[in-house]
Amino acid sequence: MKDDSLGPVITTPEALIARIAQSRDRQAYAQLFTRFAPKLKAFVMGQGMNAQEAEDLAQDVLLKVWRKAEMFDASKATAVTWIYSIARNLRIDAARKAKRTRELPEDLWQSEPPRPADQQLADSQSVHTINGLMETLPEEQKTILRLSFYEDLSHGDIAAALALPLGTVKSRLRLAMTRLKTAMAALVPGDRV
Amino acid sequence: MSTPNHHPGEDLLWDYHRGALAPGMALAMQTHAETCPHCRGDLRLFDIMGGAMLEELDGVAMSNNALDLALARIERPEADEVVETVRRPAFLEGFDLPESLKAVKIKNRHWAAPGVWMAPIELEGAPKGSKTYLMSVKSGLQMPEHTHRGREITVMLHGRYRDHKGRYGPGDFAMCDESDQNHTPSMEGDDDCLCLVVQEGPIVPQSLIAWILQPFAGI
Ligand SMILES: [Zn+2]
Repeated sequence: MKDDSLGPVITTPEALIARIAQSRDRQAYAQLFTRFAPKLKAFVMGQGMNAQEAEDLAQDVLLKVWRKAEMFDASKATAVTWIYSIARNLRIDAARKAKRTRELPEDLWQSEPPRPADQQLADSQSVHTINGLMETLPEEQKTILRLSFYEDLSHGDIAAALALPLGTVKSRLRLAMTRLKTAMAALVPGDRV
Repeated sequence: MSTPNHHPGEDLLWDYHRGALAPGMALAMQTHAETCPHCRGDLRLFDIMGGAMLEELDGVAMSNNALDLALARIERPEADEVVETVRRPAFLEGFDLPESLKAVKIKNRHWAAPGVWMAPIELEGAPKGSKTYLMSVKSGLQMPEHTHRGREITVMLHGRYRDHKGRYGPGDFAMCDESDQNHTPSMEGDDDCLCLVVQEGPIVPQSLIAWILQPFAGI
């Protein structure tokens, strides 16, 4: 083990992933694991996995982070966004019991040739504040997001759960998305979102 | 290069994001997203939101030996990823296919009518009664009039067409359902049309020619 004087307190997950990519730093991996495995477990349990499946999935997600660390591009996404996208893919794979992982847009956050007409979605600086931005959403929009992400419901299911017309659910989600995009664009001058 | 004008709705994007779509629909979404910066942006936003939701969550404790297990697993050699190369049928030589379609198994084409061919796409786990295929229509032809049972998705790959809802070009995502009675798309421009079609239910032909075509087309 390396010395602890590097100070884990101020270490960002982005820096931990960079240390893994550069020097296969096992201490960095342990920190990352300790920080994210319990969250991942909680997340997929909320979506319907049992405790054992959820624990296995959390293990697999972080193993993938270890193996793919050099593909992480902090200028494109935050660590937590990247980790979430890996978890999403592995969860879907598990659900389908598919052998291959190719169908899904896993590489959404890996390097992509620049396209002038492309929407530059928020660099990592603005993504850091996404939690703050989401706090500012109206409660009715936050409710839709919670049901979407934490319970893995379709818009039809959410409409039924809240006794709302489907169109209202869709438009509230769209409003939340537009608001986040606009706010993120404002944080990064010159960046179109 | 112009970007697509016709997009899937939020509900489809969301179901794609969470992996809830049948394979044919997911393939159509993937193909559209590949050419559509707008929808790619929305999908990334879902990841950003999901990451934020993950960050916000209180964890559930892992079992006692979880970290030891994790540290042991990273020392094990990684199994080689099996990269399956899919052979592309000869009749697709010269077509600039999107990445999404390079990874799927495309079967031999059959001619549904003069100037019209269809090539089924084999997808694991596709629901019974659904169909996914590539369709090519020679320029200037009109599709047989038909109505739909269930949804039908068309993603344009090459060429242009028009129907009662508008004009469609490369990358555009078009969805029809039961409400689109007597759907008669017609091709525009000098280029042959190539599109990806996903049908959740059978098409109901309205004209004699379509009835005749049906057994050949397998629709
Ligand atoms: Zn789009």
